[in-house]
Parts: sequence; C-alpha cells; structure tokens
Amino acid sequence: MDLYLLQQVINALSYGSILALLAIGYTMIYGILGLINFAHGEIFMIGAFCAYLLITFVGSPFILGIAAAVGGAMLIGLFIERFIYRPCLNRNAEVLTVFIASFGASLGFRNLMTMIYGDGRRAFPIPPQLDQILVTESGLFINTKDIWIFGVTLILLIAVSCFIKFSRLGVAMRAVAYNANAARLVGVNSRVIVTLAFAIGSALAGVSAVAYGTSFGILNPSMGYLAGLNGFIAAVLGGIGNVPGAAIAGFIIGLGEVLFVGLLPPSWSAIRPTFVWILLFIILFIKPSGLFRPNIRIE
Amino acid sequence: MNGKIKFLIGIIVYFALLWLAQNFLRDYHLRLLIQFGLTAIVALGVNLTNGYTNIFSLGFGGTMLVAGYTTALLTLPVEYKAQFLQLPLWLEQLSVPFPLAMLIAGCLGMLASIILLLPAFRLRGQYFILASMGINIVVENLAENVRWLTHGNIGLRGIPMYTNIWWVFGLLAIIFYCLHRLMQSKHGRALVVISKDQELAGVMGINVVRYKVLSFAVGSFISGIGAALWCHQVLMINPKAFSLLYVFQLVAMIAIGGTGTLSGPIIGAAILMIGTELIMPLQEGFTLFGMTIPPAFGAINVFTAILLIIIMIFRPKGLMNGKELWEHFPRLFGLKKQSSS
Repeated sequence: MDLYLLQQVINALSYGSILALLAIGYTMIYGILGLINFAHGEIFMIGAFCAYLLITFVGSPFILGIAAAVGGAMLIGLFIERFIYRPCLNRNAEVLTVFIASFGASLGFRNLMTMIYGDGRRAFPIPPQLDQILVTESGLFINTKDIWIFGVTLILLIAVSCFIKFSRLGVAMRAVAYNANAARLVGVNSRVIVTLAFAIGSALAGVSAVAYGTSFGILNPSMGYLAGLNGFIAAVLGGIGNVPGAAIAGFIIGLGEVLFVGLLPPSWSAIRPTFVWILLFIILFIKPSGLFRPNIRIE
Repeated sequence: MNGKIKFLIGIIVYFALLWLAQNFLRDYHLRLLIQFGLTAIVALGVNLTNGYTNIFSLGFGGTMLVAGYTTALLTLPVEYKAQFLQLPLWLEQLSVPFPLAMLIAGCLGMLASIILLLPAFRLRGQYFILASMGINIVVENLAENVRWLTHGNIGLRGIPMYTNIWWVFGLLAIIFYCLHRLMQSKHGRALVVISKDQELAGVMGINVVRYKVLSFAVGSFISGIGAALWCHQVLMINPKAFSLLYVFQLVAMIAIGGTGTLSGPIIGAAILMIGTELIMPLQEGFTLFGMTIPPAFGAINVFTAILLIIIMIFRPKGLMNGKELWEHFPRLFGLKKQSSS
C-alpha cells in the first residue's frame, strides 16, 4: 500500500507542476492588478499550440518548441494586457467590467482556435528520449518526462521566487502590489510592472503548456478551460498574491486529484472536477483567504 | 385613466402582433422568434441577480440544467423512462401537465440555486464569481455521471413539444411586468441599494443576506422557467446544454444590452440572435465566386467576444447605459419627459 501511495505521488508530480506554474500566473496578475485574468487558460492553450505547430509542421527540435510556447504565450499575454485590460483600466472601469472583458477574451481566443484548427484532439509530439519508463528495485515506475517536468518546474519556481524577493524589479513589483499609488510616488513605473507581471505569468503558462502536452500527449482548443480553472483554484487556495503559496497549492491539488482517482473506486474517477470544487468550497469555508498567509500582495 | 387605456391598447397590439407572427411567419422564422423569446426570459432572470443586485453569478447554467432535467423527467413518456433510466417507480410513473412541470422546474431551479449558492455568499467579488462557476461544473459533471437519472452524456431525447409562441411571449410579458413592478417596489429598491453598497444597505436596515437570497430565488426561478421552455422547444437535454458557452452568450447579451435595466437584456438578446443569423452562413462555410470558404465553427462566438470587449471598453454599462429604452426615447412611448430624479 505504501508503495502504491508513493507511486501515486510520483504520478502527481507532473500534474502538480502544471497547476503550480499556472497558479503563479494567476496569483501575480491578481496581486498587481486585483483582477482575475480569466483568459490565462487560453494563454496556456495558445502556448501549447505554438509548440505543437512548430514541432509537428516545421520539424524543429523540442527545445525550440518550448521557446515557441513561451514566446507565443508571452505575446498573447501582452496582447491581452495592451488591448483589453489597459483600455478598460485607463477608463477607470469597475472590476466587474474588466472581468467580463476578460471572460470575453477567454471565449474569443478559444473559439478562434476552434475556428482555425477544429475542436478535435491532436497528438502532442513527445521526444522519445524523454518518454522512458524507469523501474526501481522496489518496483516503482518512474517516467523520465515526469522527472524532467518536475525538475524544470522546481528550478523555475525558485528562480521566480528569488526574482521577486531580491531583484530590484521584484521589489518594485511587490511595492506596486502593496500600494500602487505609493509605489508611483517613489518613482516606480507601475505600467512597466504590470506588463512585466503579464510577461512572467504568460511565460510560465507557456512552460506549463509544454509540460501538459508532454505529460498527457494531447492538446485541443478547450484544454485551457479545466486546467486554467484548476490553476486558479490553486492560486486561491495558496492565498491569492502569494507566489510560493500558489505553487504549493498547485502541487496539493494535483496530488489530491491523483489520489482521488487512485484511492477511490474507478467508477468515481469521472467526478474528479466535482471533487476539486468541493475541496475548494470546504477550504474557502474554513479559511476564506486561502491556506497560506492571508494577503493581497506578492511575498 | 388615460394611462390604463394606453396600457390596454399596448397589450392588444402586442398580442395582435403575435397572432400575425404565428400566422404569417415561415416555420423557420417562427422558431427563431420563439428562441428569441425564451432567451429573453432567461436573460431577464439572470439580469435580476447579475444586473440589478450586482452579484455577478455564472452559476445559472447549473440551476438551469437542474430545471431542464426536472421538466424533462416530469413530462417524458413513461415507456421512454422505463426503457432508458432506472428511476424509482413513483418518478417513472409520474406524468404531469406542462404548466405544472414548468412551475416545478422553476421551483427546483430556485431551490438548487439557494442550496448551492448559500455557501458562496461568504465570498465576495471575484471569489464569488469563481465559486458560482463551480456550480456549473459540479452540476454538469454530476449530470454526466448520475446515469440512472440523467442517461449520462447522451441526455434525454423525445421530450414532448409544448412550447409555442403564446406560452413564450405570454410568459415574457408577465415576467417583464412583474419585474417592472418589483423594481419599483420597496424590495426592488433594496436590491438596487445592495448593488451600490452592501455596507450602506446594511446600515439602512436592509437585511442584505435575505435580499440577496430573494434576488437569487426569483432570478433562478425565472431562468428555470426559461430552461423548461427551452427543453420543450429543442425537445432534448444533455449535460452540455447550458455549458460555459451558453453562459457566456447570456452574459454577453446582458452586458451588451445593458445591465440593470429591463430593456437591456432583451435588446442584447435581439442583437445577438440577429448577429448569429447573419454570421451563420460563414460558420457553415459557403461558396463565393467559385471560391470555397471552409466552415469555421465558433465564428459566432468570436464575433460575440469581440463585440463584448469593445462594448466593455467604450460603454461599460452596455448600450442602454443604465436607462430604460423608454427613458431614452420618451416621445416614442408616449411618456412625458421626466425631470431627472
């Protein structure tokens, strides 16, 4: 049983990584703008499509595919920021108005991709050297791609946390998140900071998209919906605005989902989404501000 | 006295127009008109919570699904239920007339919304939106998996056809009138105060939670009735019937038309329905001067999204901008121009 449990934990690593990377994007943008970027799941989806198109149709190496995913996701993220959020915010729109606009952006991009590529599932090209199964002496099955995904995610998480904690721009970011007007008074260009937050969040979504493609091997235009929502739930659970908290909550949700499927009878596995939402409800009921540190700022 | 006569004339003209529509419109256009009417009913119901009370909920898809399945189970032929579902005997044998089924559907939708949303009332702002969205996903997910009741992904088919133009537009008129009266009453004003400032409303002695629940109850009752009418028009229901796409289209209708007004949602519904009809050929693909344009599914939603974003940027309160149609054009409706209150 212990071995089984350990196996489930290993299986959860890559899914948890995907959610953690997505959650950071949500939490950063919420921390700085006070807005849910509802279109984050679509940024993720477009990143995956960029990698897919480049690798499958151009035949480029996998590493270029990752770069394309990151670049494409960043481009879309900045596009959304420049042409949807900024015009709204410049007119002092209410939070709700901006939310509806981002809701529109989300559905718009998803349907645009459906329009171009159809809603069918496509196979994501996984390089064979990444997709090998190792068997340990005690009988655990470890897929090398899971290790890769987890390793890359861990490095990125540490890098982003350090960036926010120690670099000048990171300090400026925290200042804007804490009090945008005061930050502006001491000479922080809050516009640049907002752009930066979108760029970092979208880039992480791009990495997450490649991880998703590698891990599940499929992609389609509506893949961003559930993944994005689960990432957002992770951001909420982690105490929104709290970057490490979001990452940890991402792993918790990933693990929770995998254990839910692994430990309960198979006929229950289809109601996974319900389980995640009930988990969210319970936690929000007990601690409305999330699991870690109740704050609306980046720590 | 004069007002009453005008009111009567208005009603007579309304029903005369409906009679003309029923007798002279082609079948396809009549269906479209009915579709528009029931969409407007749902939009009015949703607008009560999302517009007037300003608690933005995306959970109406879930409660509408509850209402839709209710009316389907209550009116489906007994043989069909026996063949495809494993229902308890009393439910299998139960068959009620359409108006009663619709009423029960509305009530169950109302109940579902209260039970599901009460926990969410602890949350505010965007957290509430998220939680309400969860209701959609949970109900949809359960509808897919509780096979003995819902027949899984395939859904229920062969629902008897009851919806016609009289039901839809009669109910639309009644609901419109009731909402109009409600918003002019003490209770309606309380909702508007809550939408502006919840603390202020509490200080003024308004029971905020009670009025929020009231708003949700009435709103989801109306949208539940809309869902029931939809079922008896489309003659089937499945878990994806009121999925995120439907929710999105309704939100777009309300936001484009104008939240917090009665005419806004109806106008928004009309704009989107007409737009859909215009874009439909593009979505299905067509041949132009020997060039074949391939079908592009989702084109309608892309246009809706673009329109929605543009409206949100340049006119955040929607086309009506917080005023009713008859306040924009008082002459046209025979009203005296009121000094702004």
